[in-house]
Order: sequence, then structure tokens, then C-alpha cells
Amino acid sequence: MSNSQGNNRWLVGIVAILVVALCGVILLGAAALVILTQPGNTPPTQNTPGVSTNSSAPARTPVPTRSSATNSSGKKVLRLPGGSGGGGDPPTLDPALAGDAESAVYVAEIFSGLVTLDPNLKVVPDIASSYDVSDDRMTYTFHLRKEVKFQDGRPVTAQDFKYSFERAANPATLSPTADTYLGDIVGVKDKLNRKAADIKGIQVVDDYTLKITIDQPKAYFLAKMTFPAAYVVDKNNVERGGRTWTDKPNGTGPFKLQEYARSQRLILVKNDNYYLDPKPQVDEVDFILGGGSPMTLYENGNLDSTRIGIADIERVQDITSPLNKELYVGPELSTQFIVFNTHKPPFDDPLVRQAFALSIDRQKIVDVVFQKMPLVANTILPPGMPGYTEPSGKPEFDTTKAKQLLSQSKYAGKMPDITWTTVGAGGAAANDIQAMTAMVKDSLGINISIQQTDWATFIGQLNDPSRNPYQIFDIGWIGDYADPQNFMEILFRTGSTQNWAAYSNPAVDKLLDQAGVEKDPTTRFKLYQQAEQTILSDYPVIPLTYTRQYWLTKPYIQGMIYPPMIIPRLRYVSISK
Amino acid sequence: MVAIVVRRLLWLPVVLFFVSVITFLLGFYAPGDPVQVLLGVHATPDTIERLRHEYGFDKPIFIDPDAFGLAARELSQGKLPLNAIQQFFDTQYFRYIANALHGNFGYSLVKYRDQPVGELIAERLPITLQLNFIALVIGVSLGLPLGILTGLKRNTRFDFTVRTFTLVSISISLLALLPILTFIFSRRQDIFGIQAGPILPMVGGRLSTISGTDFNDCFGGLAPTLIGWGVQPENIPDTRIICLNQLPKLVLPILIESLGYIAIMTRQMRASLIEVLGQDYVRTARAKGLRERSVLVRHAMRNALLPIATILGLSLGGLVEGSFLVESWFGIPGVGALAVDALYAREYYIIVALVLIIAVAYVVALLALDLIRPFLDPRLRQVE
Repeated sequence: MSNSQGNNRWLVGIVAILVVALCGVILLGAAALVILTQPGNTPPTQNTPGVSTNSSAPARTPVPTRSSATNSSGKKVLRLPGGSGGGGDPPTLDPALAGDAESAVYVAEIFSGLVTLDPNLKVVPDIASSYDVSDDRMTYTFHLRKEVKFQDGRPVTAQDFKYSFERAANPATLSPTADTYLGDIVGVKDKLNRKAADIKGIQVVDDYTLKITIDQPKAYFLAKMTFPAAYVVDKNNVERGGRTWTDKPNGTGPFKLQEYARSQRLILVKNDNYYLDPKPQVDEVDFILGGGSPMTLYENGNLDSTRIGIADIERVQDITSPLNKELYVGPELSTQFIVFNTHKPPFDDPLVRQAFALSIDRQKIVDVVFQKMPLVANTILPPGMPGYTEPSGKPEFDTTKAKQLLSQSKYAGKMPDITWTTVGAGGAAANDIQAMTAMVKDSLGINISIQQTDWATFIGQLNDPSRNPYQIFDIGWIGDYADPQNFMEILFRTGSTQNWAAYSNPAVDKLLDQAGVEKDPTTRFKLYQQAEQTILSDYPVIPLTYTRQYWLTKPYIQGMIYPPMIIPRLRYVSISK
Repeated sequence: MVAIVVRRLLWLPVVLFFVSVITFLLGFYAPGDPVQVLLGVHATPDTIERLRHEYGFDKPIFIDPDAFGLAARELSQGKLPLNAIQQFFDTQYFRYIANALHGNFGYSLVKYRDQPVGELIAERLPITLQLNFIALVIGVSLGLPLGILTGLKRNTRFDFTVRTFTLVSISISLLALLPILTFIFSRRQDIFGIQAGPILPMVGGRLSTISGTDFNDCFGGLAPTLIGWGVQPENIPDTRIICLNQLPKLVLPILIESLGYIAIMTRQMRASLIEVLGQDYVRTARAKGLRERSVLVRHAMRNALLPIATILGLSLGGLVEGSFLVESWFGIPGVGALAVDALYAREYYIIVALVLIIAVAYVVALLALDLIRPFLDPRLRQVE
């Protein structure tokens, strides 16, 4: 075999070179890590001129991978992660189709409507400078500002609003939100179900006056009008653009869409025609949709603000970390519930439900499992929602009483098998579910098995409450509009689709009916609070947490707000650099 | 030869038919539907029913048995049951096929509303293809020589080292490998004062966004530039410079993807080489006094490469399947990320289109493989 060594040299050579190259790369990387973790080596935040040589390519649009907030031409550019803070593409930019947070973040800046929400979630005028309400509180007359123009300069009139409402209510538009947000207007439901060609309840009085009639004197109607389904769109823009008209939208909002490269970036520029104060103070907003984790991008200086998830929260809450000074916490209009199916044994017995509720130490779950990121919940309405009442004490936790209640129940000693259904992808269930089932086992001696299912299946089963097969499960509800009716009525009225507990209490229904049409806001909120207390004492659900949003924002950014709902907020932001 | 190609290609529609039928069946009968996902927890029964009707999801899936009733009525009136035939086929499946033949593969319903599926996939497929193809090239060019070496130097320390490395690299879950490699390479901005030059792979630093254009600019332009290396056409931007700037971002994902190919190629080459070297004809060749290199190249290699060719053929078919983990970790807008998102959101049209594309890829790749094999293996050169 003496020939083999010589003949293999060429092979060895090739492999050796390639392997050495790879090893060299790895070693240099490791060396870099060592060097840079020495104290005193802070990476600069300036961009290299050599990197963005894309500008040397004549036929291409410049790629904005700037890392400083003010680029070389002096423009103020705000760089944000995609959507509600986690990156990712908006499913749609069409106001009639936008039903989710990711889309709403952009739609609320590009378009606008009759009224909007201020940072305190109060309904304030937008394109409509004022409105009159009839005595029976079923007809609203909106007076439009005369100076409002679409982003191409065309003035906005009441006819544009009529067109937009008709479009949203057109069944062929396939709007998922028209039923909920426009359904109170007379004639909308008929049009959606192809029983009418026009919306009877919307009338154009003249170019700047619009009359809308609703079916009942509902107090939450105006809150619903702040939603994108009620925004105005430009008829020419929509009809000329066809199915992909949102690639070049002609809106009325504080920002214009300049570029949207899917999964890469979305760029808004300020609308010089904007009519409300404060006008936008940054020239451009770049949403970085791809390129990996927003947290990494923020730390490397490529983003000016980012949302934080539970993986990084400990690092950021550490007071000695420089990131801690850049941390902002805001409420979200959302409550996470544990839901009992009151039609399925053993949860048809209120004593069992109460026993379970008393045997779960919610404060501990929040402190230990969730690392205090959300707040522990004791009411149905979350903080920030009008009508929220601060609970008087800590959430109940009394294992002695729990055992006692259980022994009095009809299932004492004859407890059926219990399965907790949760959304998951296999592997171990979420830590909080595991903790809670362990708590029940410790206090009451009941074994609960956990079943995981994927989101689409889960939601498919839940959307038909009469056939809901789950006994106990966890789910959250995010407020659609800033009115307590959205939580109380939708989640707890007899027969409502989202009444997942299948809870039915005629006394509560009566209170909801009254509150729905009550004129005086204070009385209204008292009625909802009464309903809330009645519901909670029946234990169809256990409120677990109110979620909060955690953000990091660079110190040179001013005016950034973190409202609990998606509202147009970028025009309040300025950069001082 | 032409007859073979034509015969095999005629199987393509049959394969596609079966694949699409099965996918439709599984998709529509599995729990969950896109309208529910679209509406989320805020659905009402009215909206669900209305949207399902508008989308045509309340139509029957394959055939409409009610059409028989209509046919009976029409026949009893002495008319040809043309309306009944039309109704029989007015189902979701046949509408889909009819649209597909016109190039309309449906629209995204949930995640990218109103974007045509064809466009969505066309945007992402080249990226996945390039990523996988380069990983495959690296896999072959590293794996084959390594396999030969370890096959020749069986049971030496070198052999054991390589085999351990390949085993470990396939066995480490990507979920562990990705964060480790990213942490090593991607969290710092510059080294020794050098401003992140193209020599070092720095993903996630300043060069953070990997976009489709980065791939297309770099590798799409590289081929023509390589062919006329040194000759720079006037109006085409200098792709060599663009590529060198984008290359750092691409090194890590390509490296990770190629680990699998390297491992497979190494092991298979080693195994088939060892087997071939034990054959009688190799013993004969050596006994005749041929130099070892001649034995290797003229006799052993040709035979050892046969299983490799099969693997390569299958790998080429698999090029259109993107790795979900790698793509979502690095934010690469490829087909793998799209597929899993579509699955979770029950985007039927995207799923069916992707499945069909993969089926086509495998049929074509295996066809090419079968055409090439007679050239590699004279025993297959029978006239069919």
C-alpha cells in the first residue's frame, strides 16, 4: 500500500484547506468574543460607510439599513420592529379587513376616520370636528372638517365616508370586522347578508355633514367608530388599484406608505397634509420586519425601540443593567382567564368551581412563573378600561375553605376525570398550567390531566359554545374598544358566542340590557360593576392576569407612548439627536 | 430515450392528482379552518357563516351528490342533464383545479390577505433554493473527499474523528446549535477595531437584515460574473462587491444547512467505497498490478458513486423544502417559514400549492436521476 499516501495528497490538501478555513473562522469569532467581553470595550454605534454600497448600484432603490436615527441628510428616522413589537408582516393594510393588532398598527397611521382615541382612550374628534346626538340617542350627525385632504391632495367629503361604509358592508369585501363594528348601524346587517343593496342608516346631508342612525341608543357606538372598519378610503384609489390597492394607499392619516417589502421592511413618511395637532415630528418611520430577533437588533443599535418578552425580562429588570433605564411598562386592555365549562361535570356545580378558585394561588403564579410581568387579576375588566374598579384585597386563596366547599359538593368523592385543555405544540405544557394543576392536586387531591391542542383547532371548538368539549381551559380576551360592554356583554351574556363558560344568569342579562342604553356614564359603569361582582361570585371564570407590555426605548426618543390599545401614536414621537 | 422521458412525464399529472386529492382531503377534514383563525376569539356565528359562504367553503369538497337529484329531474323532463353535470363538478376541488390551470393558485386568507399564492411562493422559493443549493454544493464538495479519505483510512484516528464529527453535527438539535453559533458570531460589532469587514461572518450586527435581494444580488449575479471573470459589463452593478458585502450574513445559515449534507455524503461515500473496495474485481485489478490510484479512480470510484447519485437526486428534489428553524431564526424569507405559518393558520391554498410544488420537484429530480443512471452504470444500458 505504499502508493496510497502519495496519491491521496491532493484529496488531503483540499479537505485540509477547507477545514482550516472553517476552523479559522470559528476561532476568530471566539477570540472576538473574548476580547470584547473585557470591560471597557463598548461597540460604537456608527454605521460603516463601506457597508451600504448599495447606493453604488444605479438601478436600485436605496436600502435603508441605517443604524443612526438621523441619517446623513438630516432626516429624522424612527426605527421600530414590525407590528405590535415582535416583528412580522401585517396580514393586511386594508382598513375594512384589518381586525388584528399587527395590521392595525399601520392602518391607524396611514388612514383615519370620524373619531379617534386619545392616549387615555377617550373618544375625541378626528375628521369629524364635532357631532350632535339626537334626543333619542339613535342618530348621530357628524360635521366634517373642511380642510381634510387625502394624501394626494383631494379633499375629503361626506360622500367618501358613505362610499367607505358601503364598501366595508359589502359582502364581497369579505370584511371580518364589519358585523361587530358597523353592525349597530341600521341596514348594515341587511347589506352584509345580501338582503339590501345600500345601508339605510347612513345619509349624506351635504358635502361636510354625515348622519348615521343606529338601531338602539347604544352608549358604546362612538367607541366602535374609532375602529379601522369605520375609516375613510379613497374610491379612485381602491377601484384603480384592484385587489392590491393597499400597495399604494391614498389615506388621510398622519403618515404615508412609502415602501413595503414583504418580510423585510415597511416605511412610512410623514404626511404634510395632516390636519390635527400635533403634526408628525419625525420624517420617516422604518419598521424592520425581518432580520432576526428585535432584541438583538435593539442592542446592536439598529432599532430605537423594541418589545421585550419573558426570555429577556430578567436581564432588563436588573437595576444594575443599563437597559433598565430604558424600560417602559404599559397596560394592555386584556385579561387572561381560566374558564370553567358550566355545562360539563364537575363544573356544573358552583361549589366545585369555587373550590378550584380558592385552591389556586394566583399571586404566586404571577410572582414566580410569570416573573411579575403581568399583574395578578381579580376582576373581569382590566386596568385602563373605563369602569375598572380596583379590587379591595388580594386574590382569594384559602385551601381550607376550598376543601370544605368540595366536601359539600355533589361530586365529593365521585369526581369525574378532569382534563385541562390549553394551546401548545407538544412537549411540556406551559409552566403556569403545570403549576396550577399541581396546586389543585396539593389542595384538593384532584388529578388534572393536561391536553394540548393547536390554536386553530382550539378556536374552532370554542367558537361553537353549544358543542364545546372542553371542561376547563385558559384563554385571554383583548378589548376591541374601550368600553366595558365589550368585556361584560360579549363574555357573559346568555348565548353570546364568546360566552365560553356557557354562563347564563338572567339577573346579569338584565343588568347588561340596562347598562347598554343607560345615558349617564357613572350609572352605566355602576351597573357594569354590579354585573361584574355577580358574575365573579358565581365563578364561571377565574381572572388570572392582566397582561402588560414591556418596551425598551432609546433615550434620544421622546414622546413615545404605550397605550393599552392600538391608536395612532407615532405623531407624538420626536427624536433629539 | 425520448420515449422514456415522455412516459415518465405522463405520470406527472397522475402523481399531482393523487397528491392534491389527498392534501385537499386532509386539509378540509382536519379540525380548524382559516375563517376561524382569521376571526380569532372575536368571531360571531354570523360572521363565520357569512365569510365561509363568500369564500365558497360551504360547497362540497369533491363531488356534489345533490346533482343526481337534479339530473333525474332534468332527464324526466326530457332534457340533457347538462346543468346537473355542471353542478356535480362545482365543488371546491374542481374549482381549484380549473383556477390552477389558469395560473391562479388562490389567495392567502389569513396572513397575507389578498396576496396571490403564486406570487407569495415565487418571492420566497428562489431564496430557499439558493440557500439549499449552496449548502448542497458545500456538502458534496466537503463530504465526498472526506468520505473517500475516511474510506481509505478506515479505523484510523482520522476516520474516527470525522465520523464522530458527522454524527454529532447531525445529532445536535438545531434548537441548540442555532443560539450557540449566533451567540458566538453575532452579538458584537467589530473586532480589533476593524469595522465588520467581509472576512468574518457577522450576522445580526450591522448587517442584520437578510433579504431576498441579498440572495439574488449575490448569487444571481455571481454566475454571469464568474463566467466572464474579470470582464465587468457596463450597466450591471458590480456584483462581486455587493456579494462580498452580503456574504457575511449568509455564511452562518448556509453553514448550518450544509452540516446535514456533509454528514450524509461523508458517510455514504465511506460506506460504498468500503463495500466496493472489498469486491472481487478490485482484487483482480490489484492483482493485475494496477497502480492504486488507477484502481481507485477507474474501478472503485465509478461504482462507489452510484448510491451517491441516488442521494443527490433525492436531495435535488428536496431543494424546494425549506428548513423552518433556520429560516425563522435568521429571518430569511423562505419557503420553510411560509409553510409552517400557513399550516398554523390553516391557509389551505398555500399548503396545497407548496405540496404540489414539492411533488413536481421530486418527480422531475427522480426522472433526471433515472436518465443519468445508465450513463453511470453500464449494466442499466439496456434498450427498454
